[in-house]
Amino acid sequence: MNLSLVDPFVLAQDYPDTLSEKLRSGHATCLRFNRKGDYLASGRVDGTVVIFDVETNGVARKLKGHIRQIQSLSWSRDGRYLLSSSQDWKCILWDLKDGSRVRTVRFEAPVYIAELHPYNHLLFVASLFEDQPVLVDISSAKPIKRILPSAPFRAAPSKDEEVDPAVAAKQAAQDAKHSTCVTVFTALGNHIIAGTSKGWINIIETQTCTTIHSTKLCAAVIILLRLASNGRDVLVNSSDRVIRTILMPDLSQLGIDLEPTNIKLQVEHKFQDVVNRLSWNHVTFSSTGEFVTASTFMNPDIYVWERSHGSLVKILEGPREELGVVEWHPNRPFVVACGLESGCIYTWTIVTPQKWSALAPDFGEVEENVIYAEREDEFDIHPAEEIHQRRLDAEDEEPDVLTIEPSKSGDIESFRMPVLLDLSDSESEEDIVAVGPGTMRRRSPGAGSKWNVNGDGEKEGRNGATGRGARGRRR
Amino acid sequence: MSHPSKRRRLTPSPPPISSPIETSSDELAAGSDHDQERRRVSLNAYPPKRPYPRSRSFSSSESPDELAMDADDYWRSSNRRRNQSVWGRSEDENEGDEEENENEDDEQENESMNDDVNETEPNGDCDMDEMEAAEENEAETYSDRSPTPVPPPPPKPDSVDYRQKFLLRGHLRGVSAVRFSPDSSMIASGGADGAVKVWAASTGKLIHTFEGHLAGISTISWSPDGATIASGSDDKTIRLWNVLTGKAHPTPFLGHHNYVYSIAFSPKGNMLVSGSYDEAVFLWDVRSARVMKSLPAHSDPVSGIDVVWDGTLIASCATDGLVRIWDTSTGQCLRTLVHEDNPPVSSVKFSPNGKYVLAWTLDDCVRLWDYVEGRCLKTYQGHSNKKYSLSGAFGVYGQRISARTPGYAFAVSGSEDGAVLCWDVVSKKVLQRIEAHEGVVLGVDTCSTEEGRFMVSCGLDGTVRVWEEVTASEAGPEAEPEPEAEQGLDQNHADGENSDKNRDMDTEMGEAGELGGETGDPT
Repeated sequence: MNLSLVDPFVLAQDYPDTLSEKLRSGHATCLRFNRKGDYLASGRVDGTVVIFDVETNGVARKLKGHIRQIQSLSWSRDGRYLLSSSQDWKCILWDLKDGSRVRTVRFEAPVYIAELHPYNHLLFVASLFEDQPVLVDISSAKPIKRILPSAPFRAAPSKDEEVDPAVAAKQAAQDAKHSTCVTVFTALGNHIIAGTSKGWINIIETQTCTTIHSTKLCAAVIILLRLASNGRDVLVNSSDRVIRTILMPDLSQLGIDLEPTNIKLQVEHKFQDVVNRLSWNHVTFSSTGEFVTASTFMNPDIYVWERSHGSLVKILEGPREELGVVEWHPNRPFVVACGLESGCIYTWTIVTPQKWSALAPDFGEVEENVIYAEREDEFDIHPAEEIHQRRLDAEDEEPDVLTIEPSKSGDIESFRMPVLLDLSDSESEEDIVAVGPGTMRRRSPGAGSKWNVNGDGEKEGRNGATGRGARGRRR
Repeated sequence: MSHPSKRRRLTPSPPPISSPIETSSDELAAGSDHDQERRRVSLNAYPPKRPYPRSRSFSSSESPDELAMDADDYWRSSNRRRNQSVWGRSEDENEGDEEENENEDDEQENESMNDDVNETEPNGDCDMDEMEAAEENEAETYSDRSPTPVPPPPPKPDSVDYRQKFLLRGHLRGVSAVRFSPDSSMIASGGADGAVKVWAASTGKLIHTFEGHLAGISTISWSPDGATIASGSDDKTIRLWNVLTGKAHPTPFLGHHNYVYSIAFSPKGNMLVSGSYDEAVFLWDVRSARVMKSLPAHSDPVSGIDVVWDGTLIASCATDGLVRIWDTSTGQCLRTLVHEDNPPVSSVKFSPNGKYVLAWTLDDCVRLWDYVEGRCLKTYQGHSNKKYSLSGAFGVYGQRISARTPGYAFAVSGSEDGAVLCWDVVSKKVLQRIEAHEGVVLGVDTCSTEEGRFMVSCGLDGTVRVWEEVTASEAGPEAEPEPEAEQGLDQNHADGENSDKNRDMDTEMGEAGELGGETGDPT
């Protein structure tokens, strides 16, 4: 409802510019907004998942179940379920209605990244450390795991072609070396996009778990794949220090207008720092997909590129530590990133000055000097009753106070997380604050989050040891 | 729901509606164009807004106000033109003011369809003109209005009929605030005796009494999930009460330096907004019971607070005569509304769709403001309000108009002479005047449920009264509504003698804060 009142200049700005706040609950290593953008899930080094309310910057829920660092988080479409994956070889699907675990899935290896199907919260895909990626169906209590291929797709040799057994053997040996590092669902969930350690992108059909297309993108490991909100643009971060954006073909047209053999993945842009050869910790699209954002290795900066021209538009600065995961709010110019050393969550927004004319209704802001023209009757004196009566008579409009106009963005409102008033029950050791030498005091209830900028540095030392965890998983 | 279009056809002429001059004193003959123009200019201190393109959404909800406004203008002008021809032909025998009412109906209906058919309007209009030229039958014209999925509404009722259902006694002193729960199953009331009482709306039985405040309660608010009630008191605290368990929340909200005067939950229930006698507006994080933001709101005690339905805006008002609209996320003031006469504002309420605010002022007026333009649209009069912080609500009457519009809107308020008044939002006419309480009626709330429509009122006489709408649907729209004054009398008799009437009235008036005694002392 505030759109009609907000300064249009502010609305026109698309990316944030100011470090605004610092959220804190333990040592966060991984972040994810829900679809509506009102909650931010953060995974901590100690395995706790903390859900922040974006409006209040307070902790809305704490989920305890993992015992090692959280690797990835994935929200269901309606925001009710959250999938967390961890280095303790487990994935947990949480129901945020009551904070209970819906399913716990154990793997044979630590989990890199697990992502929920965009429409079915009982189906997810997980890429594992030095193991084959799996598609997991958790609709029943016993999870059904299906292994996804990592080898690139080879066109079946036609009959008349001679297949040299030596070549075939070599190829098979090469294929065996591929391992999948990251898997994401396409927008509709009918396909899985997988990135391999040899720089290949595979497109795998969810239904059959077979690869239908492969493209070699680069020679280095593919670290991260992100899908833009339009579902067609893919952001690829690879260890060759180049961020690529790829245009996906419309895979829903497969079999109608599009044959799997005709799929072509085109690199639209390459973003890199040519001078310093920076490598990128984590990448993300902006809410509209207009901008590409990346946190840098060994550097406290966040780079923001504009995608239409491929130019660097902004370097977000502020904290003095290297940043790991960076995330963009789904519909606002609002960026969050977590620091690797301290585990704090930093937020960047647009800070607008108060318009003083809003406080004094009889003043207006003008661009330049205006010569005031006095109206003919401006200082005429009328009896008070007459003026009052005239005012009443002039009220001839027909305001409609009931009809709520439908929002353009389409209503994805469905699940509302209950507001917990007794969060203090689930507090842990970090809520004990040292107030002096040898004296400890429990933090006030619900104060798990330190979100004011002049935050505390009391736990810096403890978390330093595990600080590099987020990046440590890939080399 | 029956088909309104059919009903329309069955009634050849609209029910007789008495002329505005007879029913409400505030509608006199319109002033000259020149005068209207002058008024507009003087109230519109802002230059016309520059039409910036708005490409991106800041919040999840959008309201293309400027666009809608333009479209409305277009429709109004085209309707006037068209209506004159149609109604002039088919209803010549009717009197002039009836024709006017018909036009109003028609316009409103068109406004409601604007949302759907903005794109097709020009075409649709042409079609209609052609059709009207060809067809004499009014009903046919209505049913064949091709671009609109909205059937025409039945004629607008010119009164509502609320009758007393329950008289709830229990508070020891005056009751300052009363609210229906979000699901309308319960009623919460808070009063000068420092107790919050929860009543079952269907039976009138007392469910809970929450005691713990050290001074009188001025305001209460339900959390949107209906599990928690927040109460603001003269002991400077806000306390939460769990309705399901009947227990108090252990941590009170401490921070205000003076009486807490008005509170409101955000629609998600994660924030609480409070206005206090210390002239500040606080935004609280409900989970941690801590102040999130403090808005340097006013230079006088903050007397009213409301949050818009999507939570993006906060309205506050104060006895300095200002109504301010705030952005929830940034905490910045976006708009200030002030009437030329600058009367103290005692209460403020967003309209159900959030486009307007209703403000109670201590000059016997309730005003409806378009806060985007910063203009007063309507002034509702007929009650008396010089001293107390009265508050009220919006309500709905009549039949459903469209999928998104449940009926016609009325505004309801208490009065210092013991009455509850319902005004039609558009015509400003008094739909019903209930002689409700002995003494000042401080708060009114409304609700619509499957079973019917209800109001609840509270007053200085220490009672809470539930009112149920008596629908005249069996009798049809032609049925004569009973004279309003008589109804009021009947109800008074039905109540019997109010034994504790005027009890403690004087002392309550003397107490600052809780009942608004000091806010607007005209002397």
